[in-house]
Amino acid sequence: MATTARSGGNASGSTAQRPNGTQQNKNCQFKLVLLGESAVGKSSLVLRFVKGQFHEYQESTIGAAFLTQTICIEDTVVKFEIWDTAGQERYHSLAPMYYRGAQAAIVVYDIQNQDSFQRAKTWVKELHKQASPNIVIALAGNKADLSNIRVVEYEEAKQYAEENGLLFMETSAKTGMNVNDIFLAIAKKLPKNDGAHNQGAPAGRRLNDNENNRQTNNCCK
Amino acid sequence: MHQSSSKPESRLAAITFFAKTHPGDVCGSNGLPLTPNSIAILGRAQRLKDLKHPHLCQYLDFVRGKHERTIVVSEYFGTTLLDKSRVALLDSLIARIFYQIVCALKELAEQNLVVHNLEPKHILLDDCNNVKIFNYGLYHMTKCGDYVPFPIGNVRYMPPERFLGAKNNIKSDIWSLGMIVAELLLQTTIWSGMKISNITRKILSFLQVGNVFEKIAREHNCLERYAQINGELRALVETCLNVAPSKRPLPTELLSHPYFSKDVTTYAYTEPPKSNVLLLRCPLEQIYYWWQLAGGDVQSELKKEGLIRSEAPILAIPQIVCLNGAIVGPKRSQSYLMDDRVVPLKLNNLFEKLCNLPAMAYFPLIHSPKFPHNFGASMAQLPLVIREKDIEYQFYRVRLFSRLLKGYPYTSDMIRKEAAKDIPPYLRGPIWACLLDVIPIGSYEKIDKFTPTSTDRQIEVDIPRCHQYDELLSSPVGHCKLKRLLKAWVTAHPQYVYWQGLDSLTAPFLYLNFNNEELAFLSLYKFIPKYLQWFFLRDNSAIIKEYLCKFSQLTAFHEPILAKHLSSINFIPELFAIPWFLTMFSHVFPLHKIMHLWDKLMLGDSSYPLFIGISILKQLKSTLLSSGFNECILLFSDLPDIVMENCVLESQKMYECTPKSVSHRLHVLREEPLTEFDITTDVTLAHLQAEMCPRISAKDFTNLLHHAPNDMCALDLRSAVEYSHVHVPHSLNVPFVAAQLSEPRLDALGVPQLEELMHGRIVICISNTHEHAVQFSKFLVECGVLRVCILHKGFNILHTIEPNILISN
Repeated sequence: MATTARSGGNASGSTAQRPNGTQQNKNCQFKLVLLGESAVGKSSLVLRFVKGQFHEYQESTIGAAFLTQTICIEDTVVKFEIWDTAGQERYHSLAPMYYRGAQAAIVVYDIQNQDSFQRAKTWVKELHKQASPNIVIALAGNKADLSNIRVVEYEEAKQYAEENGLLFMETSAKTGMNVNDIFLAIAKKLPKNDGAHNQGAPAGRRLNDNENNRQTNNCCK
Repeated sequence: MHQSSSKPESRLAAITFFAKTHPGDVCGSNGLPLTPNSIAILGRAQRLKDLKHPHLCQYLDFVRGKHERTIVVSEYFGTTLLDKSRVALLDSLIARIFYQIVCALKELAEQNLVVHNLEPKHILLDDCNNVKIFNYGLYHMTKCGDYVPFPIGNVRYMPPERFLGAKNNIKSDIWSLGMIVAELLLQTTIWSGMKISNITRKILSFLQVGNVFEKIAREHNCLERYAQINGELRALVETCLNVAPSKRPLPTELLSHPYFSKDVTTYAYTEPPKSNVLLLRCPLEQIYYWWQLAGGDVQSELKKEGLIRSEAPILAIPQIVCLNGAIVGPKRSQSYLMDDRVVPLKLNNLFEKLCNLPAMAYFPLIHSPKFPHNFGASMAQLPLVIREKDIEYQFYRVRLFSRLLKGYPYTSDMIRKEAAKDIPPYLRGPIWACLLDVIPIGSYEKIDKFTPTSTDRQIEVDIPRCHQYDELLSSPVGHCKLKRLLKAWVTAHPQYVYWQGLDSLTAPFLYLNFNNEELAFLSLYKFIPKYLQWFFLRDNSAIIKEYLCKFSQLTAFHEPILAKHLSSINFIPELFAIPWFLTMFSHVFPLHKIMHLWDKLMLGDSSYPLFIGISILKQLKSTLLSSGFNECILLFSDLPDIVMENCVLESQKMYECTPKSVSHRLHVLREEPLTEFDITTDVTLAHLQAEMCPRISAKDFTNLLHHAPNDMCALDLRSAVEYSHVHVPHSLNVPFVAAQLSEPRLDALGVPQLEELMHGRIVICISNTHEHAVQFSKFLVECGVLRVCILHKGFNILHTIEPNILISN
């Protein structure tokens, strides 16, 4: 019962973009936000995930950028609505506008930069405090292709992630390593309870319940 | 006056070489790929363009070709010393050449430059026997030769210490000079036909020698000639050829030597007679610019001479590529080897294209009413892109603006007037500076750009991402310059902070004034308060919110249907327009598009960018209207190709037909204080957010009433009784209380021909109950009525206007 399929116009809207036609499948739509220090590779991760591209000189993001990508997990079509935010601390005041009502967040740091890891921890704290209580948070240690000059140890980040209930992967937008995987892992963890194990847990909140929150900066009509 | 039709000599020439290629797939310490050496060369070379000296050939352009090729365009004419000295020269002429080379070296030393490739073929002589040194910047632009795979300099003229690794010392050039002069004086070619290794051995053997000049003379059987040389001159050459660099004289010491100073006029530069070809009296950099517009292309000239040879790409494909990146394949083609030929660029084409121009066009008289400078007026109606490529038109414009710029600031008004027609790309940087009222006074030099600050990290991560498709901005020199500019701006504004986006905003100014950081800085310095006052405060939220609210209101004013749609899908400007305005579009468009946009922006006031924003929405209107939230926001995340010319024209139109007060914002730099008839300061952000339509001031209202009553339609929302008591002439009474606003249908108001009456006019809602005007104006927007606004302070303000504008019964 507690699938998160969306009904009516939404479903048809998303099938329109999928030529294969997956009407019989469940359709979910999740809002995901990327947070993290400036120049850690947030936009690059999104670009790799959405378009399979990588630009060495990816421009800085001002305010925020929006992209979408659809993936399939088993019989479910998951559409991510991704808000890629500006990293500079000064743009912090805009962040709540983007993470408000988000079902998932990827907090990114650069494995060559200790400060960016500290900043990531601050973001996690803020999300725990301010974002919706069921938000799925993933921690991404980006630029893993440069692991020979890493500063943040894998184990350290892994342990932090476990203590705080975060998904964790080291990623490389440049090589593509773990980029799809982290989004996939998020999609799997998001509340699409597969019937059998459904205990009506609070995590299994319907997207439709969230509709009012979403209205502030999104439209699903 | 007609120009001479005799064939003029070439003044320009090109040389080309390859920069060192980086081994494949190597990254720098920051994880980014290494900058190609040819780009680094391009950046370093730029400053050479600014060297203008009678004894130095002027550098004009640096072009990147394929496969790390670099092409250098510079002044070139006359005869090389190599050719000239095939016959023996008089000692007095040799002394003159000596003296003038020293003059050139002195100038270079003052610029902290060394030549390191001084040799007779790089020394040019004109008809008056004036010396000009050519190709003297190669060593500098290639960062002491680091960026190229070949050694720089002719071994024959190198001092011994260069072989031992010493470099960057002007004394090395003094040695080369000594060798050149010695050769001339001895009337022989030193070590002719000798192998490089032997020459090297000879030079190193000088380390044991007391008098190098004498030794050379003896070796070449010229002792007799050596003895005949004027003693003073010979001693001078000998000091230049001192093995110990410290004992060689500096250029200034040579110039002040009695041998020269006693008869300096014989040696010093002789002003050549003015050319009877008017074009050749123009600055060489302008001639080169026009040469390009006349179809000149350096690459094809080099191809004609066989200096660029194209080969089938398949021949360059490696046969084996190992997993570690090593390549096994064909040997490097012969065409990649250094070829130091100099290719003259012929000016014939340019002369032909310009031969029918009136002489007055070369030196337009800007203050003489008898000779109006309306050259090219007939072309003013052609599209901008065509005008910018038209040689004749650009000739007129460049000559005119060169003249006007010389008279700045006294010619400010004329510059503004001409810039409104168009801005010649060639002079855009200085023209923008004039439009921004920049007056350089050396203040940039005094600003601290070096002390580390907390902002440095952010600036450092932003610069390698800022407009990096551009060769200059991606060069190391470009990065340094941008960093200095940003740090200087932050230091100069303790009240402001660095917001991401300031880098993009600075880039166009740096791009246009790459060799003039002060002008770039001052332009930015003036630009920000004019268009982005207080945007860079630590807490700028009030300013940005007001700006975006005004943007929404103006969208409703000019594009009511679009505004209604966007508001219905909650597509608010906060989600997409912050980078637009914070960077004045420099973050969302490539540089070449920003140029045309800012050309017009510079002529408008602080409200102009809002209209650019609306014109972008307008261009995407049909897509936006048929899209939901996601599609709309996706459209802006990946901004599609916007046609700049339309965008500029549309924004200009809207800007001109919008009363100033309608685009009023509180947070602007104001020259005159607000009066009670303007939009007063009690209008808060909350008001703006609650009102879909902008307000118009009583002042603008009265102005319209007096000067353009046909452009306005005043809707009086008060009751019929109040209206009959007193009202504005030509106004329509639409009592609010009786109005049916439940459905967006104009005919529900029951006013006959209302739609026609409002058509093409500014519709002003007037009431004494402000809330009525707000609701009613929103209703009109929803009905799709264009240009709806609300009279600020309502009907009552009109009572206080003198002389009276009201009709009372």
